[in-house]
Amino acid sequence: MKRPLGTIAGARSGDKGGDANLGVWVRTEEAYEWLSTFLTKEKLKELLPEAQEVTRYDLPNLKALNFVLHGLLGEGVASSTRFDPQAKALGEWLRSREVEIPEELL
Amino acid sequence: MIRIGNASGFYGDRLSAMREQLEGGDLDVLTGDYLAELTMLILGRDRMKDSQLGYAKTFLRQMEDCLGLALDKGVKIVVNAGGLNPEGLARKLDAKVGYVTGDDLKARFPEALTANAYLGAWEIADCLDQGAQVVVTGRVTDASLVVGPAAAHFGWARDDWDKLAGATVAGHVLECGTQATGGNYSFFTEIDTTKPGFPIAEIDEDGSCLITKHDGTGGTVTTDTVTAQLLYEIGAPEYLGPDVTTHFDTIKLEQHPRGVRISETKGSPPPDTLKVCLNTLGGFRNSTTFVLTGLDVDAKADLVKRQLQQAIGDEGLTWTLARTDQTDAPTEEQASALLHVTIKTTDPKRAKGFSRAAIELALASYPGFHVTAPPSDGTPFGVYKAAYVNRDEVSAKAVLL
Repeated sequence: MKRPLGTIAGARSGDKGGDANLGVWVRTEEAYEWLSTFLTKEKLKELLPEAQEVTRYDLPNLKALNFVLHGLLGEGVASSTRFDPQAKALGEWLRSREVEIPEELL
Repeated sequence: MIRIGNASGFYGDRLSAMREQLEGGDLDVLTGDYLAELTMLILGRDRMKDSQLGYAKTFLRQMEDCLGLALDKGVKIVVNAGGLNPEGLARKLDAKVGYVTGDDLKARFPEALTANAYLGAWEIADCLDQGAQVVVTGRVTDASLVVGPAAAHFGWARDDWDKLAGATVAGHVLECGTQATGGNYSFFTEIDTTKPGFPIAEIDEDGSCLITKHDGTGGTVTTDTVTAQLLYEIGAPEYLGPDVTTHFDTIKLEQHPRGVRISETKGSPPPDTLKVCLNTLGGFRNSTTFVLTGLDVDAKADLVKRQLQQAIGDEGLTWTLARTDQTDAPTEEQASALLHVTIKTTDPKRAKGFSRAAIELALASYPGFHVTAPPSDGTPFGVYKAAYVNRDEVSAKAVLL
């Protein structure tokens, strides 16, 4: 079913210099199994077209994925001309994107 | 067990948090983080105006209110509020104060406005070992504010990697204050976050901990709120710090009646280099937002762009057209798009001239011209960069007044 990703996933994002990080987590093992297959870095770029170079790190112990979006913030918060220069709401943007979620996870 | 609380996640956080933490229940140590990358730049500019400044002034206000209370209750205070001037701040406090110095590397990076190595926990531990009631530091890693007191309390060795890693995780959870207790939390509709309480870590000798908060405070501590904070501002699962490399993929979380237990965290030796936070002045910036309402939004944007470029030149201008407008909208605001423009330039006169050029268009541009906020005189902006230096180039020192 097409639903916002945030129906089942939480997220928190922030800045490290010119890079943004975006952590995404879910609350059950089944959901993590789905998330880790579904949310590849290519998929993330598709959902957040402003992202360019992306690295994904897996944290199965936290049922979480951590994405680093390289260079999204230019030369850091004080210099960035980007809307939301500290990437505080990047995670909430991702959560609002509608994706195909297996019905049994809803 | 040592009970370590946090009362600040950034310079500007809830001023009353210090008192709330001291009055709300038992604590051994109260910590506060005041230094973000951006804060170092703000303090650098304070210091340019007055060399006596360069520290977080709000901490001093909190101490005027709460230092006596902390001393009465035997709670030690450990903060990085010293910023660029830990000694200056330390000398303003009437208690047995220790400060940590040696992070300032401006001599090594003369082109930078601020250059500060991220120091670790051991100088904080030193100050506490020598009996300090208050410890103020400059740039230390946020987690060090928690690791230092735990290491001093338990007498950990410098190669107790797992213990140091466990305390680093506790420090990472605490460093952003209420972000661990339901603030800024995706599933906020499931809990009451009207006024989340500040977090506390009860750390055991093996480095494991219980994340909790005082009874009766708002918010909540669940594996979800703690996971959210663990994911904040991290990169690879090998979390590098000056004292230990912490392996975030080994952390185990369990719900507990009073909060969340964190255990099993593994640590390994830290890198040979220390990270340095560099802020340089990048130039001057100014910006404004034109409101484009109703029909012909693209053409309106084109016109005002052409006009502003003609007036001050194209160099250093960044334009963003946010199509927040809807067609046939029921409110004026919903009918409007926003055109943001920012100028970044090395010439302060051009940054100032930008304002005049933008405002001179008021009666001469697209129909419905107005701006959300008038542009200012322009302000200097900083450029952040990380650098790395060998440990032996940095001599961190604990000083007791």
